[in-house]
Amino acid sequence: MRKSQQSGWKRYLARYWHLYAMMALPLAYFIIFKYLPMFGNVLAFRRYRPGMGPWGTEWVGTRYFQRFFQDPAFWSAFRNTLLLSLLNLVINFPIPVIFAILLNEVRNVRYKKVVQTVSYMPRFVSTVVVIAIISDLLSPSSGVLNHFLSSLSGKEPVYYMNDPRYFRRIYVLLDTWQYTGWTAIIYLAAITSIPQELYEAATIDGAGHWQQIWYVTIPSILPTIMIMLIMNVGRLLSLGFEKVLLMYTPANSGVSDILDTLVYRTGLANQNYSYATAIGLFTGVIGVILVASSNALSRRLTGDSIY
Amino acid sequence: MKRRLFVLLVCIALVGSLFAQGTKETTATKAEGPLKISMFYSDNATLPFKSDWLTVKEAEKRSGVQVEWEIIPIADYQTKVSLALNTGTNAPDVILYQSITGENASLALNGAIVPISDYSQWTPNFNARVKEFGLEDTVAKLALSDGKRYNLPSLFDVPFYDGGIIIREDLLKKYGLQAPKTFDEFYNVLKVFKQNNPDSYPLTILAGPRVLYRFTMPSYGISLGKNSSSGSYVLSWDYGKKQYFAGAISDQYKQYITYFHKLYAEGLLDPEMADPIDGTKWSQKMATGKAMATWAYYDQIGGVTAASKIDGFKLQMYPSLAGPAGAHNQPKAKTGSGIIFPAQTAKRADFEQIVRAVDQMFYSEDSAKLWCLGVEGVTYTMENGKVKFVDAYANDPRGIYKALQQDFGCGSDVTQMVWVNKREMTKYDENYAAINAEVEAMGDVIQELPPRPKFNDINAETAASYQTPLADAWERWNDAFLTGAKSIDKDWDSYVAEMKKLGIEKMLDLYNKNL
Amino acid sequence: MKTYKTPKTIAYYTCIDIVMFLVLLICLVPFLYIIAASLSSSEAIVNGEVFIIPRGVNLQAYRQIFSYPNFFRAYGNTIFYTVFGTLIALAMTILFAYPLSKSWLRGNKFVMKLVIFSMFFSGGMIPNYLLISNLHLANTRWAILIPFCINQFNLILLINFFKSIPQDIEEAAVIDGLNYGGILVRIVLPLSGAGIATIALYTAVFFWNDWFNSLIYLKSSQFPVMLFLRNIVNGTTMLGGDAGSAGGADKGALSLSIKSAVILVSTLPIIMIYPFVQRFFVKGVLVGSVKG
Repeated sequence: MRKSQQSGWKRYLARYWHLYAMMALPLAYFIIFKYLPMFGNVLAFRRYRPGMGPWGTEWVGTRYFQRFFQDPAFWSAFRNTLLLSLLNLVINFPIPVIFAILLNEVRNVRYKKVVQTVSYMPRFVSTVVVIAIISDLLSPSSGVLNHFLSSLSGKEPVYYMNDPRYFRRIYVLLDTWQYTGWTAIIYLAAITSIPQELYEAATIDGAGHWQQIWYVTIPSILPTIMIMLIMNVGRLLSLGFEKVLLMYTPANSGVSDILDTLVYRTGLANQNYSYATAIGLFTGVIGVILVASSNALSRRLTGDSIY
Repeated sequence: MKRRLFVLLVCIALVGSLFAQGTKETTATKAEGPLKISMFYSDNATLPFKSDWLTVKEAEKRSGVQVEWEIIPIADYQTKVSLALNTGTNAPDVILYQSITGENASLALNGAIVPISDYSQWTPNFNARVKEFGLEDTVAKLALSDGKRYNLPSLFDVPFYDGGIIIREDLLKKYGLQAPKTFDEFYNVLKVFKQNNPDSYPLTILAGPRVLYRFTMPSYGISLGKNSSSGSYVLSWDYGKKQYFAGAISDQYKQYITYFHKLYAEGLLDPEMADPIDGTKWSQKMATGKAMATWAYYDQIGGVTAASKIDGFKLQMYPSLAGPAGAHNQPKAKTGSGIIFPAQTAKRADFEQIVRAVDQMFYSEDSAKLWCLGVEGVTYTMENGKVKFVDAYANDPRGIYKALQQDFGCGSDVTQMVWVNKREMTKYDENYAAINAEVEAMGDVIQELPPRPKFNDINAETAASYQTPLADAWERWNDAFLTGAKSIDKDWDSYVAEMKKLGIEKMLDLYNKNL
Repeated sequence: MKTYKTPKTIAYYTCIDIVMFLVLLICLVPFLYIIAASLSSSEAIVNGEVFIIPRGVNLQAYRQIFSYPNFFRAYGNTIFYTVFGTLIALAMTILFAYPLSKSWLRGNKFVMKLVIFSMFFSGGMIPNYLLISNLHLANTRWAILIPFCINQFNLILLINFFKSIPQDIEEAAVIDGLNYGGILVRIVLPLSGAGIATIALYTAVFFWNDWFNSLIYLKSSQFPVMLFLRNIVNGTTMLGGDAGSAGGADKGALSLSIKSAVILVSTLPIIMIYPFVQRFFVKGVLVGSVKG
């Protein structure tokens, strides 16, 4: 029994050793650079004292976990993060896909290339400048939007950046502006890989534009879409820290305080790395659960999954 | 063909690696030639560090030191310093521009920083300056709970009035108004401004509400918020009783916020200052006349005036307004951020030499003049015992102070450790000197910073855990009171109740017990 | 291929063209503003005269930037990290993605889980710093080139691209006696132009924009130009939070003109790369490969 298993393994390796050899170096990289530092997470269970070593000085068990579990500010931040992320997902996930598909339909090649290049430029405007520009546009005193609206309806100018009701909308729309072109690149690349013959066959079968998109394009890039979806679901709890921090005002703090900004204030600004690490562990666990479940769901529904 | 491409790529990567070596650490065999010290320097983009700055080269030459400058952007300076001190790796010999508060205090007590007060026999220049300025007590108070001092602070003989209330002098004249001396008078001035310019918001603030608070609250006897003088956000120092009190829930604060709410409600206070307003926007409002009064810094006046197209535009800085607690400005310490030595430096065999060299480089009489005025004969000359700057700089459009800063590195917060008021005044116009003299004559306008409690890092953690929720709550309520979202009359009690529930009294206790 | 135009077709394509034009406007206008600001005089900006057209045109801002000490050195550093970082990252990611795209390979699932797990748990700044320090990479340029060479997100994307290549081609090659290394180089890579180009672009942008890792792992002489950008543009926006703050932070704002010029100078090159990358987005590479 054993002998045949051994020779089975040997034969398997002999046949596929190239593939394993390729994995060797990258795997080593992962273990060294991604897994070794993970031991640092033990800090979540130990008290950190500045200057006395990075592993903390004594075991305190779940003290920090209890602390944030009982902190209403934590749950408020948690809720804000989740809501903002979900809104972002619902709005900003489909848009790049639609944009990529539409862009692909443009006939004039030069026009297409120009639009493609320009659409990804906003990604490079640094967040500080983006916020400065949008503050200017929405300013109650000098902003274009308020001027325009009040000349239409004569209402009082609204201080958008300070109003908790508009915070989420502004945040999501800024993300749309900054990242649509950038994210669409992935889908464009996927669309490029679709064999032309599929379209030719569809045309022969009498399919119109929309039908071709629905029956050829979308199914062909469905694996890419699902994978992007799974990864975005997994990252639900991590949001753009800098942007939120710059948009934060006391007036909108009820909706604008997210996990990362909370950790920054309570954990890092007070050098309480243990607390920050504990929260990091908690969000990491949730992220893993989210990925695992969406991956399984995706496999069941569409057959595509990451693993 | 593709394989060749692959091989080519690998070769390029390998060749590239040759350039990746970077500069190898030259292991100093002996301390031959000049002493080599590595230093962290915090680089402000408005005066970018130049290694060939006159001051830098002279200072190195005079103290026989060769400095390896690590120039780190100011925005990320603390991160880098914190990392070096927390991990104990890759720290330089000397770190500039640090105070021993917050994390640094904990690091110091746990041995990451050298207790420089133990080596005061090696800092004769520093000691001399302290004595000269009469700051022995103040410096002694910088000691932490173990009785030792961990930095060589910058020293000020007389703190100067470099920022305060700035108003359009031409408009005051135009409307026949006197310069206000109290907050009530200021209110009337603002009202007149508004009547004549109904579309404007007369009062705006540089960089946001925290700047307003730190300048004006002391006149009401409190200091709260992000830039509170105690660092606690919600506790204030009682200069009479010499202890802390819960400023955030005090009657003084109630008075204060009532006044400013009135300004806000009557359209006198710019509603956009609720969140940080960037420098350009502020300049715009002042220069175009959309705002007529502000709290800001004297050396910004020049820039705004130059940009303004309004005829007769003149901005003037006035002494602090008097409130119920007198006329006070932002409290200032006579000591400031200074020099610290990471623990590993003390292990160097030439540690004594290093300390002596640093002391000489920044605190000697000679160096004090160098870092402030530059080199005699090059940037200035002495005439009849008075300082006279060379013509090129005396008439520089940037202003003497800024010009010297940018071209020579004089007057940088990071490297200048000794600040003599009279010497500083020579770099400004007479107007500035006159204002400073007026303020000094008023007596006790600029109060001392309150003493920090001597926490060990366990207390510090407890205090911090109170501080964050209290700070958040205060910010929310303050903003609500200011804008009228919550009523000061009706909701005050529930505000106080919430603050008490969050533990403001426990925090107060902790502070006062550890003074 | 349709060769006749119905009104429906024309309407369809016109609509799309209009939508794209709007996109063009929305993305371009803020850039025009920034370009205009960088060419305008400070006075004009302060007086609110600048929108898309520069006023008081001068190159003062650019002149000032180029005279900042070490600006060109920092620029060179950035180019170095971007080029070599991307090359190394591409090599490593491709090497890893190809075997992982074979979902029937034993151990595949385990390794995938390893990869994904590592996306959610990192060690944090200090443990990472200590690791790099103990490996003697700190304060050398390798600290940027090695520790970030595989990004899990990009890896998963590339795996997905590799999976979309029909298996029959590879099986044919195996029968012809080619080993997997050969298949990778001669068959898979040429067919994955779009996927690799995408990853190369994403990676290049990552290295180009990186400031945090450079800040903590490098000496100041090795700093990239992004730290410059941050210092000038952000400068002190997020600071000024100290107790008894002395105001040095608050008044240290630079003019919008300089900030805009810095943005343009540091981002234009990486934006310009895209047209070259587009070359790889060629349709119909798989024509005829499936038959037979």
